[in-house]
Amino acid sequence: MLRRQFLSLAVSTSLLLAGVAGSASAQMAEAITEPVTISFYNYNLASAGIGREATLELIAKFEEANPNVKVEPIGAPSNEVLSRVQADMVAGLDVDVAQLVFRDLIYAAEELGAQPLEDVAGDELAKHALGFVPAGLALGEVDGKTYGLAYVFSTPVMFINRDLFKQAGLDPDQPPRTWEEVKTAGKAIAEKTGKHGFFPGAYGPTDGTFVYQSIVMSNGGGKVRDGNTLTFADKDQADAVAMLRDLMDSGAHARIDVGAHMDTFQSGNLGMFLYTSAILNRMESAAQGNFELGLAPMPSFGEKPTAPTNSGSAVFMFSQDPVKQRAAWELMKFLTSDEAYTIITSKIGYLPLRPGIVNDERYLKGWLEQNPKYRANLEQLDRLTPNVAFGGPNYRQVENMMKDAMTEAVFGSGDPRQVLKAAQEQAQPLMPAN
Amino acid sequence: MTTSPNTRRFAAHLVMIGLSALAIFPVYWMVQTSFRPESEVFSTALWPATPTLENYRRVIEVMPIFGILWNTVLMAAATTAAQVVTGLLAAWALVRWRFPGGRLAHSLIALSWLVPFQVVMIPNYVLATRLGLLDTIAGLVVPNAAAAFAVLVLYNAMRGFPREVVEAARMDGAGSLRTLIEVVIPNLRAPIASVSILCFISAWNEYFWPLLLIRKIENSVVQIGLQFFMSQEGNDWGLLMAAATLASLPILLIYLVLQRQVVESFMKSGIR
Repeated sequence: MLRRQFLSLAVSTSLLLAGVAGSASAQMAEAITEPVTISFYNYNLASAGIGREATLELIAKFEEANPNVKVEPIGAPSNEVLSRVQADMVAGLDVDVAQLVFRDLIYAAEELGAQPLEDVAGDELAKHALGFVPAGLALGEVDGKTYGLAYVFSTPVMFINRDLFKQAGLDPDQPPRTWEEVKTAGKAIAEKTGKHGFFPGAYGPTDGTFVYQSIVMSNGGGKVRDGNTLTFADKDQADAVAMLRDLMDSGAHARIDVGAHMDTFQSGNLGMFLYTSAILNRMESAAQGNFELGLAPMPSFGEKPTAPTNSGSAVFMFSQDPVKQRAAWELMKFLTSDEAYTIITSKIGYLPLRPGIVNDERYLKGWLEQNPKYRANLEQLDRLTPNVAFGGPNYRQVENMMKDAMTEAVFGSGDPRQVLKAAQEQAQPLMPAN
Repeated sequence: MTTSPNTRRFAAHLVMIGLSALAIFPVYWMVQTSFRPESEVFSTALWPATPTLENYRRVIEVMPIFGILWNTVLMAAATTAAQVVTGLLAAWALVRWRFPGGRLAHSLIALSWLVPFQVVMIPNYVLATRLGLLDTIAGLVVPNAAAAFAVLVLYNAMRGFPREVVEAARMDGAGSLRTLIEVVIPNLRAPIASVSILCFISAWNEYFWPLLLIRKIENSVVQIGLQFFMSQEGNDWGLLMAAATLASLPILLIYLVLQRQVVESFMKSGIR
């Protein structure tokens, strides 16, 4: 982790020295008349399996539809792709399109020179965004401009081990809808089956903060920052974490290795697991022959509406050349088209940015009828609440400090509100001044 | 009460057997997991109920594993050869001649050992890109062609080499290079073997530099290849263990063939 942070810092410094970031953009070409090659940095390509296969299929289809454009795919793991983009910029290589996680949004816009799509694509952006979910464009916005086009993303859903529910005398067809019910069910599972009750994928080194932010923002809508002022220790936000601590103290919340939650659920030892729906395919494979899998929307705080936050990534344009910008824009449009989301949703399991396709015979209707579990995830699209990224060069450190504090608040023995408050005071000086 | 030597030996062996079992168990678990079908990956049984080669078939199908292993062997062998050659020449220069700045050069080499590779990674990357070495095996080898570790180990070995023998070679008319090749090197086989083995293992385990430099899976090396089965959306344990088993075979082969030298290398140089 330290090595990665150091690498990011080193590359950022080099970028500033090289004067790469923030270059002005030229007018995008109207059309592509000559063959052009663009680079596409992508983390789904860095691992074997359906994500890679689906991405290669998308690229092949795009190239087929755009014979003048050749896409050079460059795979890097999700937590390394930003470093790869930065290093290539420093080395003077052309970075055209990159898939970056949402936590990098502000950094990509302010420090890396991502192109504001309104400036580059003009009216084409608004036209392309017709049919997006209401918060669709907002997911990639910084200061009112769209830098990232939401690409493969999802929201937290509750994975249920129906067998453990039955063994604990609970009805798996009535999964918990509120945190109070999660507490009751979690305790019952732990006490009656000897297995673990509930665990959210909110603490581990690779989890980001989307599950944490979803829980926090579901408790009245308060965010983890207000402008550049950190607010993750404010009352509602801290109360949400205190609720998790209460689950822990009651025995409903599992006390397991924070990096092993997925394996614990897959092995049939966890009753309820709140995590991104993007792992649905993997969970289904693991459950086959071992236990019956169920899916439910994320729990709420009483009657308050939930605020499911997006995990995943957006695609950013870094091209400076007008022709490459056009090619990059065409690729970005294709990757967020009806056709692309049919592949992305049905093969990988991410949410469709275009909800209209779920009832369309040509796209996802047939698939959804065969996979009704997925509806729990779709139900949350209307309440999709953009993930909050942090600004400034220390954004990852601030986010880590917040997450570490939250983990300590839930797993430790101190007062959770005090733990969060102390971390907030410590992290605030690392935020940009205004 | 006294214990007989046999009892003491038995007790010592019992402890060693226990420690060996502890050391071997993760390797055993890796191998047996590689034979598990997906539905049994999380089972704690000591052996899969329905062993399968499916994971190996899938690894070969989704990834050019043998090409990757070949790349890794090539990269590790070339890096080792380069580090031993540069190490021998540098050590010989420092031992054979006393020249102004010699001590400083020695100190700088020693100090460079303390500089983490991450510090020079980006400048190296920029240079490698400009030299057209991006995504190539040569790009993996060139920045690691000289290693302070090799220079220092060989320097210490050469310092212990009798000066009289070197003088005798000189009086017989041998030049410096000939003395090195025909007199010194044949007598330093043990330290050279130690350095070679440790350099090979270190190159084999290299992760960060290939991660940055290599862009296509077919040009990749094994440590990056293993990452191919790990992602934020979970790990493919069966495939990962099958790939890890295949990846550890060459190193295992080295251990089997050069067992004594490998153990001596670790003993003499400290475990790295």
